[in-house]
Amino acid sequence: MSLPRRRSRILQTTRKIGELIMTYFSKVSDAKSKGKPVAWVTVFTPVELLYALDIYPVAPEHFGALCSARGFIVDYLEEAERCGYSESLCSYSRCSLGYVLSGMNGIMPPPDILITFRNSCDVYVKWWQSLHMHLGTPLFVGETPYVLAPEDLDNYVLDYVVKQLEQLIEMAEERFGLRFDMEKLVEVLKLSDKASELWFETLKLRRFRPCPLGGRDSASDIFPLVVMQGTEEAVSFYEELLREVKGRIGRKEGVIEDEKFRLLFDGIWIWHAFDLIKYFEDKGAVFVYEPYSEAWAYRLDASEPLESIARKILSMGLNVDIDIRIERFLENIKQYQIDGAVFFSNRSCKTWSATQLVTADILNKKVNVPYLLFEADMADPRQYSEAQIKNRIDAFIEVLSES
Amino acid sequence: MYLGIDAGASATKALIVDRKGKVVSYAIVPSGINFKVSSQKALEKVLKSSGLSLKEICYAVSTGYGRALVKAEAHSSEIICVSRGIHKLLPSVRTIIDVGGQDSKAIRIDEYGRVLNFAMNDKCAAGTGRFLEVMSNLIGKSINELSRLHHKSSKPIRISSTCTVFAESEVISHISQGSKIEDVIAGLHQAIAGRIFNMSSRIGFEKDVAFTGGVAKNEGFVAALSKKTGLTPLLPEEPQTVCALGAALAAIRKYEESISHAHL
Ligand SMILES: Nc1ncnc2c1ncn2[C@@H]1O[C@H](COP(=O)(O)OP(=O)(O)O)[C@@H](O)[C@H]1O
Ligand code: SF4
Repeated sequence: MSLPRRRSRILQTTRKIGELIMTYFSKVSDAKSKGKPVAWVTVFTPVELLYALDIYPVAPEHFGALCSARGFIVDYLEEAERCGYSESLCSYSRCSLGYVLSGMNGIMPPPDILITFRNSCDVYVKWWQSLHMHLGTPLFVGETPYVLAPEDLDNYVLDYVVKQLEQLIEMAEERFGLRFDMEKLVEVLKLSDKASELWFETLKLRRFRPCPLGGRDSASDIFPLVVMQGTEEAVSFYEELLREVKGRIGRKEGVIEDEKFRLLFDGIWIWHAFDLIKYFEDKGAVFVYEPYSEAWAYRLDASEPLESIARKILSMGLNVDIDIRIERFLENIKQYQIDGAVFFSNRSCKTWSATQLVTADILNKKVNVPYLLFEADMADPRQYSEAQIKNRIDAFIEVLSES
Repeated sequence: MYLGIDAGASATKALIVDRKGKVVSYAIVPSGINFKVSSQKALEKVLKSSGLSLKEICYAVSTGYGRALVKAEAHSSEIICVSRGIHKLLPSVRTIIDVGGQDSKAIRIDEYGRVLNFAMNDKCAAGTGRFLEVMSNLIGKSINELSRLHHKSSKPIRISSTCTVFAESEVISHISQGSKIEDVIAGLHQAIAGRIFNMSSRIGFEKDVAFTGGVAKNEGFVAALSKKTGLTPLLPEEPQTVCALGAALAAIRKYEESISHAHL
C-alpha cells in the first residue's frame, strides 16, 4: 500500500498573498520616490477615493498584523512603551508609533498625509493625532456617527459624511496640487465593487460540506480588500481564488479530509499564533464563518459615488448596533451549519471584545451552540500562554464531540 | 483494575478503581517541575497503598496540565474528567466549581454528566490556589492554618487589586497598619471567592453546585465562596481527586471499547 499523500490544506491562491503584499509595498515606495503622496489610513477609510486622487494608501493596522505574523513586532512595541505609550493601548497603535519613533526603517514608507474616520474605535482619533504629533504631517480626522440600522440611514447622517469626503478631496487637492477626477472614481468604485462581489461569493461557498476554504485562507485572502480596493490586481486575485474554490467544491475536497466540526471565529485573528488555526484543523475542526472576513467587502453603487462610499464607512461592522450583529450571527449559524463558536477576547480591541460575553451567551441559549472564549492579544505575543490556550481548545473539542 | 492520573500544575494525583468504578485507593504528590517523575511517584504510592502490582492495571488514562507527558494509554481533558468524576460521586450536580493550583474553572453538566458549557480563569494566578500559596508564604501561615484562622475573623479586610503582585503589597500594608492576621486571611479568601464568582457567573449556577479541586479543602475559602454565591455547595469527600477519578472511569470505558474492537 502506498502512503496516503497529504493534501495541502491552504489554497494555492492564498499562497500568493505574501508576494502580493511585497509587490504592493514596493509599488507604494516607488510611487513615493516619484513624488506621489502616500497616505497612512485606518482600515475602513475610503481607499477608493485616494486611488482616484492618485494617493497611495498604506494601513498601519495591516503593518502591525504583518510585523506580528513575521515575528518582529516586539521591538516596535517596546520602543513605543519606552517612550511612554501604555501597554494597555491597542498593539496596532503601539506598533506603528514604535515604528515611527525608531526611525521608520521598514517596508512601510513614511506618510505625506494621515487620514482616519472614527468608525471602528475611538483609539483611531488619538492614535492618528499622536502620529501627527510625532511626524508633523497633515492630518484628516473624519467622524462617523454610530449607526443603528445601516440599511435605513438618515439623510443627515449620510450628508454629514459626504460633506467630510468633499473636505478631504479639497484638502488633498490643495496640499498636493492634485485634480480630483469623478470619472476615475467611478472606474475605481466599479473595480472595488467587483472585488467585494467576488469575495462575498467565495465566502458563501464555505457553506458546502466539506468546507473548501479555511481560516488560514480567509485570514490572508482579505489583504487585497484592505488597501487595494479599486485596483485591477485585487479583482484578478479574487477571480482566481473563486475559480480555485469552485474547483475544490467540484472535487468535494475540503480544507481537512475528515471534517468533524464546523466553527465560527469571532475576533481578529491572532497573527503571532497563526498556527492555532491549524491546531483546530488537526482535531477535525474547520472555521467556516468569521464576521472579520466579511467585514472587508461592501457592495458599492458607482452611480452614487460619494454616497456609496459614505455608506460603506458608516456600515463598518463595529459601528453597527449589537442587536443587528447578533441577528447576523444567528442567521449565519444556520446558513453555515455551525457546531461551535470560538470567541477571541482581544486585550487590544475593547470595542470588539466588550460585547462578546453577551453575544456568546445569547447564541448558547437561543441556538444551543457551545462556545469557547479565551483571552490574548492579536499582535502582542508577550501576553500569550500557548499551553493554556491549547488546553482549552482540547477541552472544547471534547465538549463538541459530546454534543 | 483501572488507573487515572491527574498531572496538575501543583499536585499529581493517582487513583485506582475496580471494574465497577469503585475507588480502591489514591495518592497525591507534589508535581514539582517534572511530570514524568511526579506521576511515577504517585503511581508507586498508589500501588503500594492498594497492594496491587502494575500488571494488574488493565488501562490508564492521564489528564491535567501535564497529561501528554505521563505514561498512559490515552489522555483526556480535565473538564471532561472532573465532570465524569463528580457525576459518579454526586449525580445531582449540574454545576462544578473547580479550583486548583493554577487554574480555576466552572463547568455546567447535564443529568448524564455531559459537559454543556465551561469557563476558565484567564492566565493569571489571581483566582487560584497559587494566589493563596503566595499569600500564605507572605504572612508565614501554612495552608492548613489559613483554613482554621478564617473563622476567627470578624472584620475581613478588602483587597482591591486583581493582580497577585499588587495584592501582596496591599496585604503587607494592611499588616503593617495593624490589621489582625485572621482578618487578612478572611479578606484573601473573599478576594479569590469574588474572582471565581465573577468567572462562574458567565455560565450560571444551576443546582446542585459542587466545589472540587485542592482549594475546596480550604474551609475558609469554601465559606467565603458559599457566602458570595448564596449557595450551599456539595463537597465530595476528597475534592482533590475528582478529576483523577474521572480519568480512571474513562480508563474503564476505553478498555472495554478496545476489547470489543478486538473481537470485531
Ligand atoms: N488541605 C488543603 N487545604 C487547603 N488548600 C489545599 C489543601 N490541599 C491542597 N490545597 C491547595 O490546592 C491546590 C492544588 O489543587 P489541585 O486540585 O491539586 O490543583 P492542580 O490540579 O492544578 O495541581 C494547591 O494550591 C494547594 O495549596
Ligand atoms: S482597538 Fe480594535 S478596532 Fe481599534 S485599532 Fe485596535 S484593533 Fe482596530
